[in-house]
Amino acid sequence: MWASIAWRLFWRELKRGELWVIAFALFLAVFSVVSLSGITQGVKVALEQRSAQFIAADRVLGSSQPFNPEIIALASAQQLQVAQQMQFDSMLFSAEQMQLATIKAVSPSYPLRGELILHRSASLTEGERAQITPGDIWFEPRLLDLLGVVVGDTIELGSIALRVGGVIVNEPDAPLSVFGGSPRALMHIDDVMTSGIVQPGSRISYRYLLAGSTVQLDSFAEAVKPLLTVHQRWRNRDQQSAIGGALDRAERFLLLAGLLGIVLAACAAAVAANRYSQRHVQAVAIIKALGANTATVRRIYVSHLTLVVLFSLVVGLLAGQVVLWLAEAAILHYVGDFRPEFSLRPLWLGSLTCLLCAGLFAVRPLWRLTRTPAIEVLKQPAVVMSFDRWQLITGGIAVFALMWLFSGEWLISIGLFLVCGIFIALLLSIAAILVKAAKPVAAGQSSAGKLALANLRRRLWANSFQLITFSLALFLALLLYFVRAELIGQWQQQIPEGAPNHFLVNVNETQRTELAEFAKTHQLQPEPFYPVVRGRLVQVNENVMREEATKEDRTEQQTGIGRELNLTWLDTLPSANKVQAGQWFTAQSTGEVSVEAELATRLGLTLGDSLRFSIGGQEVMAVVSSIREVDWNSLQPNFYMILSPDVLQSFPATYITAFYIDPSRYQLVNQLARQMPTVTVLSVEAIISQVQSIISQVTLALSFILVIIGLAAALVLVAQVQATIEQREQELAILRTLGARYAFLRNALILEFTFLGALAGLFATVLAEVLLLTLQQRLFDLPFSFHYTLWWLGPVSGALLVSLLGWWQLRQLLRVPGAVLIRRVLQG
Amino acid sequence: MSEGSLTILHDISLTINQGETVAIVGASGSGKSTLLSLLAGLDIPSAGEVFLAGHPLHSLSEDARAGIRAQYVGFVFQSFLLLPSLTALENITLPAELAGDKNAKQRAIALLKQVGLEARHDFYPAQLSGGEQQRVAIARAFITQPAILFADEPSANLDANTGQKIEDLLFDLNQQQGTTLVLVTHSEDLARRCQRQLKMQAGRFVDASATDDVSQQEQTHVG
Repeated sequence: MWASIAWRLFWRELKRGELWVIAFALFLAVFSVVSLSGITQGVKVALEQRSAQFIAADRVLGSSQPFNPEIIALASAQQLQVAQQMQFDSMLFSAEQMQLATIKAVSPSYPLRGELILHRSASLTEGERAQITPGDIWFEPRLLDLLGVVVGDTIELGSIALRVGGVIVNEPDAPLSVFGGSPRALMHIDDVMTSGIVQPGSRISYRYLLAGSTVQLDSFAEAVKPLLTVHQRWRNRDQQSAIGGALDRAERFLLLAGLLGIVLAACAAAVAANRYSQRHVQAVAIIKALGANTATVRRIYVSHLTLVVLFSLVVGLLAGQVVLWLAEAAILHYVGDFRPEFSLRPLWLGSLTCLLCAGLFAVRPLWRLTRTPAIEVLKQPAVVMSFDRWQLITGGIAVFALMWLFSGEWLISIGLFLVCGIFIALLLSIAAILVKAAKPVAAGQSSAGKLALANLRRRLWANSFQLITFSLALFLALLLYFVRAELIGQWQQQIPEGAPNHFLVNVNETQRTELAEFAKTHQLQPEPFYPVVRGRLVQVNENVMREEATKEDRTEQQTGIGRELNLTWLDTLPSANKVQAGQWFTAQSTGEVSVEAELATRLGLTLGDSLRFSIGGQEVMAVVSSIREVDWNSLQPNFYMILSPDVLQSFPATYITAFYIDPSRYQLVNQLARQMPTVTVLSVEAIISQVQSIISQVTLALSFILVIIGLAAALVLVAQVQATIEQREQELAILRTLGARYAFLRNALILEFTFLGALAGLFATVLAEVLLLTLQQRLFDLPFSFHYTLWWLGPVSGALLVSLLGWWQLRQLLRVPGAVLIRRVLQG
Repeated sequence: MSEGSLTILHDISLTINQGETVAIVGASGSGKSTLLSLLAGLDIPSAGEVFLAGHPLHSLSEDARAGIRAQYVGFVFQSFLLLPSLTALENITLPAELAGDKNAKQRAIALLKQVGLEARHDFYPAQLSGGEQQRVAIARAFITQPAILFADEPSANLDANTGQKIEDLLFDLNQQQGTTLVLVTHSEDLARRCQRQLKMQAGRFVDASATDDVSQQEQTHVG
């Protein structure tokens, strides 16, 4: 029987609009979690898939040992796509020439991700498309010139002869290093076996290329563990990519900003639940007086909350899913070949958030409501349901749980929680002081302004709470607005308009002049020419560096030892570099070297250490005179070791430079390749467009959060104002009876909210400025600069928004005739 | 009955028999509403005993007293106390539904007819006049055919004419159903319509003859 009463009451309450604020607050929480976590995940998946193209697979297992059939069988058993790849350096012989080349031998299924384009011609732009076939070998264009062969000629590799099939136009996992290396060739894996190249001790890198869903790949990674030896290891995608760092920062920021929006929404739910409970005290007392026990009343009201939660959850999940689809469509638009991966994470995260918000913010007031004694029917006015200690405690627990849920880290959660606590305590004290200080001004009610101040004072506790929530809401909105601008600015700075999109490597002294001519003719702005000399670090002070057994045995700690480094000499510090310790070269510097900071840490190098390099059989010495921080995200040639000009100038060097070539003039690239066939041209256009597409998506996500926070803030305001409606009704009735005119009451009301909004805006401004200055230093590496716009935008937007929302909500109440108000108040 | 150092009711001893109509009169603050809340089991005394139909209300929990109210008690309040989100018909049905009565709706319709509001069965309280709301409240009070009806100033919020009609309705229904009626009022006229009048002043009965011998019996029997 209680169920029909509960349903009837629920339906009517829904119509009366009382439950909507709770429902909308919970909806907002679910919706924002689902869409935010979904969008970030979508961007991540897109990024991973894009990076997958750069390794031609989703994951790559590298090995220095020949292929293990068991591993291949296991991968096939997990329904994964598999391709095999071998890479080695070998001499190629043509009739007249010989040339060392990096040769990649692949199985027919290569590549699993990205596209391999081979032309059965010597041209990158024209020619019949071809597939990799046994008996053929495909060259990077410059290799044709280096070997003096044309398509269709035969070359020798080991003990076999291969026909030159044509040129490699696009090889998805070609190394992106601007330093290139030996010219590249591609062949069928079956030919390697007959070539006799594979000998014990040959330096061959074997790779298992795998593709499939994340679940399949993870389960394979787990299953393959027992088969792996020290010779095999998973090859990670480049962690230091230009995008990786930016996206990591953006993701953390998005989730935390989103989280604070959710906390705001939860506060709105708590305020609305309190008001709902307050308004139902008498109803519960009546129902109890008519014979219902607490359990029945509890069933009725718990069922109300359950229905609201269910409704918000379902609608929130659906709306979130719709946004996800839209976001996926947008990513698809930007990225092109994005394959969305369905994930349950946004759904369960959204559901859990909803339950936490409802359970820990809204259950307590309803629980207290159901304990209302029947005797309340005879009490006028009814008991006031303000926030109690338990509600604050459960609310605190919910906020902490959400912080942990989103950040996944105890330290961040505790830190953030404490910072929020301190902010709130600070705001509360300032608010109390300010509202109390207004007492002398507010004495008497002779003007609308004084009445407004008196009202603010009278609702001290409620106003302090309002002040905190408005301040937090405005603070978040302002912070996000400014951080968004700064993030975008920073990213755009990273890839400014006209940033070089083509790198030219292996430029010799003669070509350097030719290139300068070429640039002049075609109005291209070349970057400086960086000289490059390949050398090996052989000794640090007294310690002779150990030669490694194989390339694959190298551990991360040994990077920079045992392999050839690209050494350069410069007299000016490159723009993306910052001297961390020591001093950059002066005109008098001789025998000095500047080392990149991370490498210096890895090798344990300090200022004053003397390094010995072996360059083409000769040895040179240099003393570490500075340690440099390098921004690897910059699209500039960067070097681990920069030597003072005197050390290297006598060695033969090649040069690196970069151009920006407008996409409409790409034929220049071909022209350049034809004119200077031994120069390697690397396009970083793909990376640039990837970064730009991610910037657009993150910007979109940031704007989305800004809207969510705006809505949550408005919702808190609506809930707060609604909570005071009964009290305001009574006051208005009295003031009306005493003869107050409509204009007077309206002005007092608008002024009250204007004061409150301006004050909240001011608090928000101070908080936002402090945090922005900190972020500038810590996150963006920018110098201190005040945000002058913020100082007027904060208080003005606060005053405007709060007064407008307040007036909009209470405008109808103001228009109610005095007699009707009095009747309503008397009827309770 | 004390709250802090304040004692609201002193030396009250009273037995009300089944079918009897009793008026408790007195000025504002004399303690008559407090007495009504104890008699109806809405509250319990800090000292003393209250029995309703043999049930010791003073020693029962809030929920157990709710059970007793559901079984024996009907209420009419001064400010009507209808649930604003339910229609007139639904407000009347409510106590019967809480008691698990399957014929609640039919009974409510019959009662609505008796109080002359069948045409307004789907009106919400805010759409009804004060007199109409009190008629709905009376119908609600009688739907469970309670053994005892408590009425707290049933006509105080109404104009004289409407008040008179409401009082008539209350007594008519009471007579028809043979309900025990305990009425709290400050109106001497209304009190005179009851078989017994108890006058209260500062938490005591002034007319001791109307009550039991306090020295012998310090308890309140109702029903």
